[in-house]
Amino acid sequence: MSLQLVANVIVLAAIYALVSVGYVLIYRVSRVLNLAHGELMMIGAYFLVATSSLFSGNPIVAIALAALCGLAMGIVVYAVLMRWMTGEAVLAAVLITIALGILLRGLAVLVWTTQQFYPGATLGWHNPSVRIVPGVQISAASIAIVIVTAAVYLGLFVFLQFTRWGIRMRAAGQNPLLAEQRGIRLHGVYALAWGLSTFTASLAGMILALDSGVESTMATIGLKAFPAALVGGLDSLIGALIGALIVAAAEIAAIQYVNPLLSDVVPFLVLLVVLAIRPWGLFGSREQLDRV
Amino acid sequence: MRAGAFAGFVAAFVAACMLPSAGALAQDAYAVGVTAAMTGPAAATQAPVIEMLRIYVDRLNAKGGINGHQVKLLIEDDQAEPSRAAANATKLIRQENVILMINSSLSSTYGPVIAESKRAGVPLWFAGAVCPKEAHPPKPAPLMFCSTGFDFSVDIPVAVRSIKEMAKGDVKLALVGIPVPISRIGVDNAAKLVDTLGMKTVDKEFIPPTTADYTPFATKIKGAGANWGYAYAPWPAEAKTFEALRRLGWTGEYLAYGHIQAEDELKRIADPGLEVLTANAMFRDDVPVQKEIREVAAAGKYTYPATYATEGWISGRILEQVLTKTGWPASADKVATAMSTLNLDTQGLRGGPLVWTATNHFRTVQYYRFYRYDPATKGVARVRDWLAVNVLD
Amino acid sequence: MVAPSPYARDLKLFGTRRARLRLAAAVVALGVLPFVASPFLLDLANQVLLACIGALALMLLTGFAGLISLGTAGLLAAGAYTVGALFREFGAPFWVTLPCAALLGALLGLIFGLPSMRLRGLYLAISTLGLHFVMVYLGGEYEARQSLSTGVMIDPPSIGSFSLTSGRAWYAVLLGFAALALLISVNLKRTRTGRAWRALRERDVVAGALGIDVQRFKLLAFVVSATMTAIAGALFAYFRNFVSIDAFSLYLTVQYVAMIIIGGMGSIPGALLGAAFVILFPYAIEALASYLPERFSNTVFALDYAAFGLVMILFLLLEPAGLVGLWRRLRNAVTARRAKTAS
Repeated sequence: MSLQLVANVIVLAAIYALVSVGYVLIYRVSRVLNLAHGELMMIGAYFLVATSSLFSGNPIVAIALAALCGLAMGIVVYAVLMRWMTGEAVLAAVLITIALGILLRGLAVLVWTTQQFYPGATLGWHNPSVRIVPGVQISAASIAIVIVTAAVYLGLFVFLQFTRWGIRMRAAGQNPLLAEQRGIRLHGVYALAWGLSTFTASLAGMILALDSGVESTMATIGLKAFPAALVGGLDSLIGALIGALIVAAAEIAAIQYVNPLLSDVVPFLVLLVVLAIRPWGLFGSREQLDRV
Repeated sequence: MRAGAFAGFVAAFVAACMLPSAGALAQDAYAVGVTAAMTGPAAATQAPVIEMLRIYVDRLNAKGGINGHQVKLLIEDDQAEPSRAAANATKLIRQENVILMINSSLSSTYGPVIAESKRAGVPLWFAGAVCPKEAHPPKPAPLMFCSTGFDFSVDIPVAVRSIKEMAKGDVKLALVGIPVPISRIGVDNAAKLVDTLGMKTVDKEFIPPTTADYTPFATKIKGAGANWGYAYAPWPAEAKTFEALRRLGWTGEYLAYGHIQAEDELKRIADPGLEVLTANAMFRDDVPVQKEIREVAAAGKYTYPATYATEGWISGRILEQVLTKTGWPASADKVATAMSTLNLDTQGLRGGPLVWTATNHFRTVQYYRFYRYDPATKGVARVRDWLAVNVLD
Repeated sequence: MVAPSPYARDLKLFGTRRARLRLAAAVVALGVLPFVASPFLLDLANQVLLACIGALALMLLTGFAGLISLGTAGLLAAGAYTVGALFREFGAPFWVTLPCAALLGALLGLIFGLPSMRLRGLYLAISTLGLHFVMVYLGGEYEARQSLSTGVMIDPPSIGSFSLTSGRAWYAVLLGFAALALLISVNLKRTRTGRAWRALRERDVVAGALGIDVQRFKLLAFVVSATMTAIAGALFAYFRNFVSIDAFSLYLTVQYVAMIIIGGMGSIPGALLGAAFVILFPYAIEALASYLPERFSNTVFALDYAAFGLVMILFLLLEPAGLVGLWRRLRNAVTARRAKTAS
């Protein structure tokens, strides 16, 4: 039984971690907190609904196309909207993301109504359950999310440490003025950050959609993942991973041993405790606090 | 100084408010008001009902209306928010002078709408939404009526008893709901009944709709050793819990109330262990009128699958009969009287006629059919024909 | 009569004749409104007045003192539930429930102001979000344990045989409360507290160096704001005659935040304008949408949601100073043109 619990924690942590990547990327690079992340994840899932009905015989194409649309969506959001907020007060940028979230929710209902969709069924995939070790059974989609999350984190680590654009992103995050003066085009870096953020969000949304369907209230999962990013420190990828594990463990422990009704509150309680001890998150950089 | 400018602004705004408000209704139509959750949390269950009602009324009007007069259906969205529902009720009743109010939204919006209708003496009809206890017999509030197929005070005892009948051997039951008061109360009532029937409740779960993964809750249910599950919640919570249980390798059986999405979902989930009970017949029963429903839905560009349309269709027919009986000229009192004498032939969509009397604005008999997926036919099979349950017990 | 001292003259709210005239016009207009407006518009006006109280409270905390708070819905719920629970359990009358709601608000303000000692900005906002979830949990627990599937019904407040139910009576009451909230806000802003808050908002480290007791003023901001918000929640409970946990969603908080943004951050008239705008906006959209052809009738409702987001974005992009900023621009444009034609 307890091995199953460990598996559940890992799966839930993977979901939160994959969603948190987006928060961390944008915050680290541009100091903006993107509160529309949950809605962007939801739109990514809806992209899969659209592509899966167009390419129902070809799951690979449907998924790849939806992921690409997710990437493009982030770049578009930056180019059309967030670009104008560069250099403005951070609070204004955050508030605009809240407004963007509301707009996206309304548009989602306008286009897709309030019905629930199951792109997995459209693609003919029935999400079989897999027995990993005796006593532990999880769905194939859950395995997928753990693998994808690991791949994303690894890929991002390599990208940020070793590739040119990754280094540019880190530079822009540490000192935008200096970076711009050194010839790093901030707009390009920010657009890339947004693109990667929505790309990972779309991946998360798509896997969740394949696992248990899409509907217009899916965006609130983004809000639940938020404490995970904050606990770890909003500008640290490792922090997001560890934060996700802590929050997921606390949530599942609450469900199993205390009271399932607390499962919505527990992530925020954990957050409050961590913030009381270390106000900038477990792995966050200290000076970020004063700048805000 | 700024305050002075602002004061001037206020004066201008108030002056604008004094402009005559558009909205005086054409006096020669039946004015019916609807406050419903057309967007927002509850919209998935409510919007399809009202949309079908609207299509039905449009069709009626195209055929010449009722008693030679058109029916004006004024739909306001309350997004399942009580203050918007209150404002809608105020607008519809006091400004548009509707003679009948329909509420199809979350139970949290009921309070102010009930108060407003009572104050104005306008009958209030709950269509497709959960029935408040004020609409239940033996002494319903004079102006409140409820036609909704499901009702927690009747559904739950029936479901629990039928589990007892269907089960072979000992029943270790897990109860599933969501943290909304009405679901929690329903589950708690079910637990009490379970004890008296000699079964055992091994776990109660209330799963927030915002949950990213249902597996932890399912793990707890499986760990408690349940061999039966009963869910009373909106369909997504019912279904996702069952699917999570199955993915853990749970082999028990599961009963849930079949909301409007149930028929399509049974085919998608394709598991014979999931059984639903519903008050409305499913389309696989090939009831003759269902063909007409499909046609009307298609002609009206219904944005949902036709299988979601039954509750809205029944509501449309109720409205038709009530307004026909009201005659012309119409008034709220005449509508209330007409509603108290409703006797609707449900055309096989429910197990019997829907009858309202002066002392019963709900029904005297509730009928259920039970369905599950049949792997042999790869379709939905009916497991039990109309089970009649006396409501007044 | 002795001429008022220069300082006293500065302190007067409506010192100039022009300001007094405008005030008179506003008072007349506000007074006439309940007698000429339709019942629906009157209900809208009442909603706006109620929202003004909450908006002013949030403006004090976030606009003046610069302390971002996302706990508005939670505080409204706290005030409303105090009324609901006290009424239901003890049949308490309003002169007991309202002060209790205020006290609870103050206490919650204190508790949730405490993190502000260490946290700032977005982290502080998130901790206030915790308040929201805690209240939702507690409210849900109360309703479930008391078997209240449709919320708590509350009788209207009454004195003797007079019962507060009519739209006009409520208008008078809410106008009174809103005016009181306005007076408090204006006075706080113009006095030492307001100046201390302003210093806090700009740079609290520097404010501390200037000798301002940072912790005390931060907590004061939270306590004042929370008390006002809780009272607004209590009034809401009496106005709608009932309380239910579903009424206090995160979207409600977002609406209040939108009010102070759209109105103009840090500005009192902005809070009032923003409150009016956010409350009236959905109805304006619906009125506009009624001109659309029939086949869009399904989409009308989702349109409202999307349009609200769009308008917020437009304000943030184009006019960060909100409606007040727009008004100022308009007025400056008119004045400039007048000056140009005069010369």
